[in-house]
Amino acid sequence: MSPPAWLGYDWLAPRFIGWMLEGVVQTAWLSLLVCVAASVLGIVLAALQPSRLRWPVNGWLAAHRYTPLLVQLLLWYFGVASLLPEGAMLWLNAPHAFGPLTWPSFEFLAAFIALTLYSSAFIAGEVEAGLRGVPAGQYAAAHALGMRPWQVLRHIVLPQALRLVYRPLLGQYLAVIKNTSLTMAIGVAELSYRSRQVETETLLTFQAFAVATLLYLLLVLGTQLAGVRLQTAQRGYGDA
Amino acid sequence: MHSEVITANLDYLLLGSWPQGQLGGMALTLLMGLAAAALASVLGIAAGVGLVMGRPAWRRLLGVACGTLRAIPVVMLIFWCYFLLPVLFGVDVPGTLTVIAALALIGGAFLAQTVQAGIDAAPAGQWQAGLALGFTRWQVLRWLILPPALRMMLPSFVNQWVSLLKDTSLAYVVGVAELTFVAAQVNNREQVYPLEVFAFIALCYLLLCSLLAWAGRRLGRSPQQA
Repeated sequence: MSPPAWLGYDWLAPRFIGWMLEGVVQTAWLSLLVCVAASVLGIVLAALQPSRLRWPVNGWLAAHRYTPLLVQLLLWYFGVASLLPEGAMLWLNAPHAFGPLTWPSFEFLAAFIALTLYSSAFIAGEVEAGLRGVPAGQYAAAHALGMRPWQVLRHIVLPQALRLVYRPLLGQYLAVIKNTSLTMAIGVAELSYRSRQVETETLLTFQAFAVATLLYLLLVLGTQLAGVRLQTAQRGYGDA
Repeated sequence: MHSEVITANLDYLLLGSWPQGQLGGMALTLLMGLAAAALASVLGIAAGVGLVMGRPAWRRLLGVACGTLRAIPVVMLIFWCYFLLPVLFGVDVPGTLTVIAALALIGGAFLAQTVQAGIDAAPAGQWQAGLALGFTRWQVLRWLILPPALRMMLPSFVNQWVSLLKDTSLAYVVGVAELTFVAAQVNNREQVYPLEVFAFIALCYLLLCSLLAWAGRRLGRSPQQA
């Protein structure tokens, strides 16, 4: 019995599976960098909430939360690029190597910046909720022990706050993995981009998207499972 | 700033080639957002209720389906709907509809989780009281549990609607002439001032989404405060 016509009669050649796996590596690498950078920035933004900078910070957060990520990507890729002097653009578009590290492509750089700023606005919201959940007595006690404000935050309040909002934070990291798919629009060769490439090359539409979807499921559900495991492991350690 | 690139293309950015041609631009973004939000809400409530009230086998199936939809990027689902629906059914489905379908499915999957949690949060005493009065399970759900639960869930619904409105921009990847796509067209045609073009549409989205969030907060205030 032959498969139905719309399925096509071929499976993807190993070469195309290779393209897909390169896409997965790019997606995972970009996600990891964005998660780290956006967490740092998100914590800083959340810590600034009670300060005198509250209004500008709120404006910044709203601007990043209430505009589509795709528009922010295009704004960085086309818009900000147009502001840079010609020399800088030439340098950014040319390959550079620093020892074993290679300087990323301009597409990757723009994707990293836009995704980090976008994600940090949402991570800041979660961290802020966590900070509000830590009892005021904890701040007061740490101050009374003579700690400086940033020491209170770093050693006393932040660890408790992050534990409180662990699950929502994990959700934000999963969103980062999914959101990297939009960077295909500016030409980053991540998984979605590769699936389109394979689709145009082979005309095996179903196979190309099925493989890409499966790989996304593995990435996202795998990260989720690892995150939940990590939490239970730490809890067990704390209780012991 | 060079605002002439905006003023020269304002009609196109807001309405597309309407009234001579097809509606596009910000008007299409709004229409797609409205349709996706309405469909996602209906799907989300139906699936959420199904996750609580259905038979165990159905609940498990529904749970897996929603979980899968939540775990894949919107772009992938748009590809599925856009490239495979026409092949599967042998009919030509307009790009706009396939994107609305994809957004409604994903939005519905997220809302189903909210609705399920909202129903589960109702105190057991309410169910018992309703059943003791001779209501059926479905009547208890419809008349006692759902009305306050949905009011509690309103902020989550508004957040999801804002997300959907932003995600209509993804129709760009399959060439539907909504706001982001027409802006990219204008940018390609003019080749100058990309910052102005994209900053302008970012401002349009910011305005729409803030309005929606603000209206949601107003609507969500308890009746006593009104």
